[in-house]
Amino acid sequence: MADVQRETLEVDVLIVGGGPAGLSAALRLSQLQQEKGGEPLSIAVLEKAREAGAHMLSGAVLDPSTLRDLIPDFKEKGAPLAAEVHDEDVYFFTESSKLAFPIIPPPLRNHGNYVISLNQFVRWLTGQVEAAGVDFFTGFAGQDILMDGARVRGVRTGDRGIDKHGQSKPTFEPGVDILAKVTIFCDGVRGNLTKELHRRLQLGGREHPPQFAIGLKELWEVPRDRLKPGTVIHTLGYPLKHEEFGGAFIYAMPEGQLSIGFVVGLDYKDPLFDPHMAFNRFKQHPFMTSLLEGGQMIRYGAKALPEGGWNTIPRVYMDGALIAGDAGNFLNSMRLKGIHLAMRTGMLAAETAFDAVRAGDTSAAVLKAYKDRIDRSAVRDELYPVRNVHQAFGYGLLPGMAFAGLAVATHGWLPEDLHGHPGHDRMKMLSWYYGTRDVPIDKPSNATAVDRKLTFDKVTNVHFSGTSHDEDQPSHLLVHTEICSSICGPEYGHPCTRFCPANVYEITHEADGTPRLQINASNCVHCKTCDIMDPYQVITWVPPEGGGPQYNGM
Amino acid sequence: MILVVAEQHEGKLNRATWEAIAAAQQLAGTAQQLAGGMPISVAVLGASTGGLGQELAAAAVAEVLVAENAALEPYTPDAYAAAVSAFIDSAKPAFVLLPHTYQTRDFAPLLAARIRKPLVTDVTGINGTGADATFTRPMFQGKLAAQVKPHGGSPAIITVQIGAFRADAVQKGGSAPVKKVDVQIDPSAIRQKPEAPFREAKQAVDLGQAERIVSVGRGIKSQENIALAEKLARAMGAEIAASRPICDNGWLPMERQIGSSGQTVAPKLYVALGISGAIQHLVGMKGSRTIVAINKDAEAPIFEVADYGIVGDLFEIAPALITELEKP
Repeated sequence: MADVQRETLEVDVLIVGGGPAGLSAALRLSQLQQEKGGEPLSIAVLEKAREAGAHMLSGAVLDPSTLRDLIPDFKEKGAPLAAEVHDEDVYFFTESSKLAFPIIPPPLRNHGNYVISLNQFVRWLTGQVEAAGVDFFTGFAGQDILMDGARVRGVRTGDRGIDKHGQSKPTFEPGVDILAKVTIFCDGVRGNLTKELHRRLQLGGREHPPQFAIGLKELWEVPRDRLKPGTVIHTLGYPLKHEEFGGAFIYAMPEGQLSIGFVVGLDYKDPLFDPHMAFNRFKQHPFMTSLLEGGQMIRYGAKALPEGGWNTIPRVYMDGALIAGDAGNFLNSMRLKGIHLAMRTGMLAAETAFDAVRAGDTSAAVLKAYKDRIDRSAVRDELYPVRNVHQAFGYGLLPGMAFAGLAVATHGWLPEDLHGHPGHDRMKMLSWYYGTRDVPIDKPSNATAVDRKLTFDKVTNVHFSGTSHDEDQPSHLLVHTEICSSICGPEYGHPCTRFCPANVYEITHEADGTPRLQINASNCVHCKTCDIMDPYQVITWVPPEGGGPQYNGM
Repeated sequence: MILVVAEQHEGKLNRATWEAIAAAQQLAGTAQQLAGGMPISVAVLGASTGGLGQELAAAAVAEVLVAENAALEPYTPDAYAAAVSAFIDSAKPAFVLLPHTYQTRDFAPLLAARIRKPLVTDVTGINGTGADATFTRPMFQGKLAAQVKPHGGSPAIITVQIGAFRADAVQKGGSAPVKKVDVQIDPSAIRQKPEAPFREAKQAVDLGQAERIVSVGRGIKSQENIALAEKLARAMGAEIAASRPICDNGWLPMERQIGSSGQTVAPKLYVALGISGAIQHLVGMKGSRTIVAINKDAEAPIFEVADYGIVGDLFEIAPALITELEKP
C-alpha cells in the first residue's frame, strides 16, 4: 500500500484528541483569535470516538477553577454539572466494617467542586468549540506521526477498510495526512502518538518513569434515598493489601445514579492479582451492598490514569508540537483530579501555539514558552509540592499516607526526590511471589463469586460499556513477540488475562493442550492497561478503525 | 386504516411479512376478535408478484393490494419509497407497518424523510390499539426499552423487529379481496443503478429467515468437530450458526455469527451446542421461541434463557440426537 494516494490537509494548529485538554486548547485558540483579530488561524481537532465524549471516562469530581477562566459564564451556558459537592467522607475499609477518617485529608476536600459525568461535560464542551467555528473531526484517530527529522509536521489518520488479514476491502480509504505548524497532542493517558514521541525524541527522564493506575467504574441506578446527590465518598483499604496502591470512590448524582469506581496502581506485585476482581470484592463489602441493594448496574468502563505526578511529566514542547492533559501526565493523584489540569494545560498550549504561529516560528525554542507558562501557573503550584507522594506509596500504604501528610505540611520539602520504578517491573514472577511456579493460574488470586447482579464477569461488564468494533479488521493490539506459552505462562501465568478489564486477552488451548493467546480485540475499551502493564512490554495499543466504548452518562 | 407493506424476493414472501401482519392486527384491535378495529390493507410490490396476493389474502385483513411495475425490479430505495408514498397518498393510512428487514432499513428512512412523517424503528411491542397506541423499541443495545408515541401527523411509519411478533399468531380465515393497483414510478427519478449481487451475497445466509438454528460455541473444541454440528443441523433441517469465538477462529464464516456483533435471530428453535451464553450472545438469540441448550457447565448463563437445558457432553448428546432424528 506504499503507492496509495493520500489526501493532505494543511492547518495552522492541529489538536489530536477531543477530551478536556484538546477542547480547551481549541476553544482558547478561537478566543485568542477573537481578542487579537488578524488573519484567522485554521484549527482542526481529531477525535477517535464516533461521537464527542463517547470515550470519556472519569469519576468525576470537577474542580471548576480552569473552567471559570475558560468559560466565565459556564453556568449560563448550561454546563452539565450534575451536583455540587456538599457532603464528603473518607473511610478505611476492613473486610466487614469501616472506619471514618476523623478529618477529611486536605487533598480530598471537595468543597465548591462538582460531581459530573465527564461524557456529558465533554459533549457540552464540544458544542462550545463547534459554536466557535472549529473543525471537529469525530471518528478519526491519529495513527502515525509525520516527522521531518526532529520536527513534528502533523499526523496521519488511520486507513479504513482493511480486513482482518490485512487485505483491502472494497471500502478501502487511505488515511489523510494532516500537516500543521503546531500539533498539540492531547491523546490521553498513554496516548499512542505521545508514546511514539517519547520513543523518538526521548522526552522523559529515566529516573522518573511514568506511573499509572487502572480505574474501573460502574454507573448504578439505586433507590433515591440511598445517598444525597453531591455526596462524595472515598475509601482505602480492603480489598487491597498494604502493598497495593489504590482505593475507591462513590459519587452520588441526581436521580439515584451512583458513580462507583475502583482505582488500583499498575505497580502491584502479585502476578495473579486481578483489578476487576478487586472491584467485585469491593462491591461485596457490607457498606457497598447496603448502598447497591435493589439497584442496577447500567454502565461499565475502565481506563488507565497517569499517577506519577510532577516529576514524570515529559518534555512537553518540541519542534512543531506540544503535549497537554493526561498525555503529559498532568494529573494530581492525591486529589484524584486531572480534568482541570488537562483543561489548564490545553489553554496554556493554545496560548503558546497562537503566539508561535503568529510569530512565524514554531521551533522548540519558541514553544518552550509553554513550559514556562506551566511553571508560573496553578499547575505547578498544585503538583510540585506533592511530586513525591505517589512514589512514596511504592513503599506501602502507611508510609505513603504518612509521607502525603508530611508533603502537605511542608509544601513538599525534601532534600532529594524519590525515584519511581516502571510499574510493570514491580510485578513479581510466580516463583518469587509464591515461592513456586506450581500454582494454579486459571483463577485470579483474589477471585470472588460472580452473581451477575452485584458482581460481574468481564464479558458481561464489557457489554455494559457499549463497546463495539468492526470485527473484520486487523487486531489493534499488536503483540510483537508471541511468548505466551514459552515464557510468560511459566513466569507470570499470563497476567494479561487478569489486568485487562475487558476480556480482550484469553488463553485458549489447542487440541494438544498447548496454550494459545486469543485476542478478542473487539472487546477493547481503549483503557491502555495492556500497553502499560505487560511485564515484557511487547504489547502495543494502536487505534482501531473506528469503534470503541460508548460511555453515555459516564 | 393500517397499511402493511409486504416484502418479497423473486416471488417468495419474506416470512417477516406475516409478523408485520400480526403486529398490524394487534394494533388494529382485531387480534382477539375478527370484527371491529381499524381496517388493514396489505400491499405487495414487485415487477411480477405471482400468487403472493392470494397467499396474503388468507390473513384476516380488509384487502390485499398488488402493485406491479417493472421499475420495482431490481429493488431500489427510490422506487420503493415512490411506490409506498403513492399508496399513502391514495389510502391515507394512520400507520404504515413494515418488517424491520435489511430492505426496510434501506428505504424506510428515505420514505419518512420524503413525506416528513414520523418513523419508529425496530418495534418490539405495541401497547394499546389504534390512534392511542404507543410503541416499545430497544435503546442502548437492548438495555432499555423506550415507549414511543409518534407525533407529527399520520401516517406514522412503524418497522417491527424480526421475531417480536409471531407469524403463526396471524388471524387467518379471511378471504380478503385482492385488488390490482397502478402505481406510477418515474424510472428517471431512480438514482440508484444496482449492480448484479455480489458473489458473497449469493452464498450469504440471512439467518433471520431460518426457522431452526443449530449454533455452536467454544465447547465444540476444534474445527473438525464443526462437522458434527453440521450433521445435526442437516438432520433437523436447520441452519448452522455460531458464537463469536468460533467465527473469530475462522471455523465458520463471520456471517454466521449470532450476537451483538453479529446477527440477531429469533427462530422457532435454537439449539445452543457448547455455548456458555455471554450476554453478547444472548442479545442475538434470546427472542427465539424455543431454546435448547447443551452444555457441560450447569452454571452456564445459557441455562437462564433456555427452555430445555441438557447438562452434559455435547459429543455424546448430539450423536444421540442425530441417530434419533435420522430414524425413518
